[in-house]
Amino acid sequence: MRVICAIGQRGGPELVNRLSGIVGDKTECLLLHVIDTGPRHDLEEYLRGPLHRRPDHGEPPHEAALKAAEETAGRAAVEEAVIAAQHAGMQAEASVKEGRPEEIIVQTAKDARAELIVIWAGEGAAGHPHIGPASVGHTARFVIDHAPCDVLLLRGPL
Amino acid sequence: MLNVHVIAGISIFLVTLVVIMVRPSGVSEAAAAAGGAVLMLMGGYVRPAEAASLLLNNWNVYGFFLGMMAISALADQAGIFDMLAYRAGKWARGSGLRLFLALFAVGMTITAFLSNDATALILTPVVYALVTRLRLPVMPFVFACTFIADTASFFLPVSNPINILVLDAFGGGLATFLRYLLLPSLFCIGLNMAVFVWLFRRDIWACYSLSDLPEVELPNRQFFNFSSATLVLIAIAYLTAAATQFPISFVALGGSGLLFLGAAWYRCLDTTRLYREISWSLFLFITGLFIVVRAVENLGLTAAFGRELLQLAGYSPLKAILVTAGGTALGANLINNVPMALVMISVLGTIHASSSNRVLIYAAIIGADLGPNLTTVGSLATMLWLLILRRRGLEVSTREYFKLGVTVVPAMIVIGSLLIWLKL
Repeated sequence: MRVICAIGQRGGPELVNRLSGIVGDKTECLLLHVIDTGPRHDLEEYLRGPLHRRPDHGEPPHEAALKAAEETAGRAAVEEAVIAAQHAGMQAEASVKEGRPEEIIVQTAKDARAELIVIWAGEGAAGHPHIGPASVGHTARFVIDHAPCDVLLLRGPL
Repeated sequence: MLNVHVIAGISIFLVTLVVIMVRPSGVSEAAAAAGGAVLMLMGGYVRPAEAASLLLNNWNVYGFFLGMMAISALADQAGIFDMLAYRAGKWARGSGLRLFLALFAVGMTITAFLSNDATALILTPVVYALVTRLRLPVMPFVFACTFIADTASFFLPVSNPINILVLDAFGGGLATFLRYLLLPSLFCIGLNMAVFVWLFRRDIWACYSLSDLPEVELPNRQFFNFSSATLVLIAIAYLTAAATQFPISFVALGGSGLLFLGAAWYRCLDTTRLYREISWSLFLFITGLFIVVRAVENLGLTAAFGRELLQLAGYSPLKAILVTAGGTALGANLINNVPMALVMISVLGTIHASSSNRVLIYAAIIGADLGPNLTTVGSLATMLWLLILRRRGLEVSTREYFKLGVTVVPAMIVIGSLLIWLKL
């Protein structure tokens, strides 16, 4: 079975362990982490806004540091998931991509002809105030709506 | 009596404000203000000689703006902001909550001595990178930075250039400033912190591994030490200058000059970067606004506003304080806090300076400093909110963010006004 595991910044090993408990170890896993470039672009636009002191052209001084931080954090998130998959005896491959997570997850599932996408229900809701009942984060919701295959939605603390 | 001349003058003023607010087809705020000023000069609302003397009289404000921006940029080049964020990460020992509180304290300190812009524009990306590396949710920390930049803006006179604009017009030393604004400032910072900790409690409760904390790569350790010592000196000099009413621009320019020489001495000076990090258009913006607001003053409009304000307040000083703070906050949020502060300076300048009327200056400072946080429509420090709302769509959670400013900021303004009134 070909499965895409959407790995967020945290909770990768827990997701892999839960998956192996459900589908067993005869699974071919693509552990995918997508760096959400949205917040960084928002920040760039904010820093480039009128009347502030950021340069009109060229890279802002902290741009390289922001990119490096996202790449390092993404790699760390995927690496710990790979270790968990290996412990569970699963065949795992890691991938770190950039863009809008919901779109990249769906596109990767299409390209890889995945049979299942596994994602935390709360994915995409991190950093927002939790008001009202627990719901589905915006990334997970988009994936449910647009996935070309089945979606396994995991609940639990991230 | 209204005639064509007066109506045309009011129209130029209103169109200038609308263009600043809407920025149609990418017209910058500075171009809008400069355009308005040219029209006012051409229409004879301000005589060229009067405009020249107005600008010359405000040399302290220009000097402070320049020095303040240069100090922040050079401190950033020395790695001060990175080091402060790193120290906060170390101190928090893996607790997201402690890190959140520590970064609040860092933001408050930077705002207090280096101004709100330094926190909003330089500390925010540094915090973003740090929190990403620690794999904690970024948004609560970014919002905390942009918010505390405005909330801590009336802690000291140098915490926001708006304060210097107002104090330069009316005078008043550090003791008077602290007498009226220290308590409101501490209260607002405390309220801001408490509300954010409660709102983001689930996200900031997370832990992080200290091994994820990236070491800071300083460009030059000696320049860093030199800059740290110079910044302490600048902070002391700011307080002394504010206390003795010595021109604050001398401290800002002198401090930035010292940092500049230090950078050159330790071969860390990047003049291209320094030049790019100073917002030169800001000077055009203020210059244009000085002239536009003077024109409105010459038409007698701000004096009329002043009379309305006094009439509205009746004999109740509390009402006058609330109306001044609230009205300034609304204006600052709708247009921009610089023109709003200039209008209020002109309005308050026309009011007879009795002791109860003098405190209105401090009420205007609270309004102009906090106004941008009221909703996302306001000035630059909160524009991030609007961008995120647009990108994320109006989810329930983002609407809650929107509500946050609308509910917390009025509470800050009302209680801040009450605290000022109690000092009367």
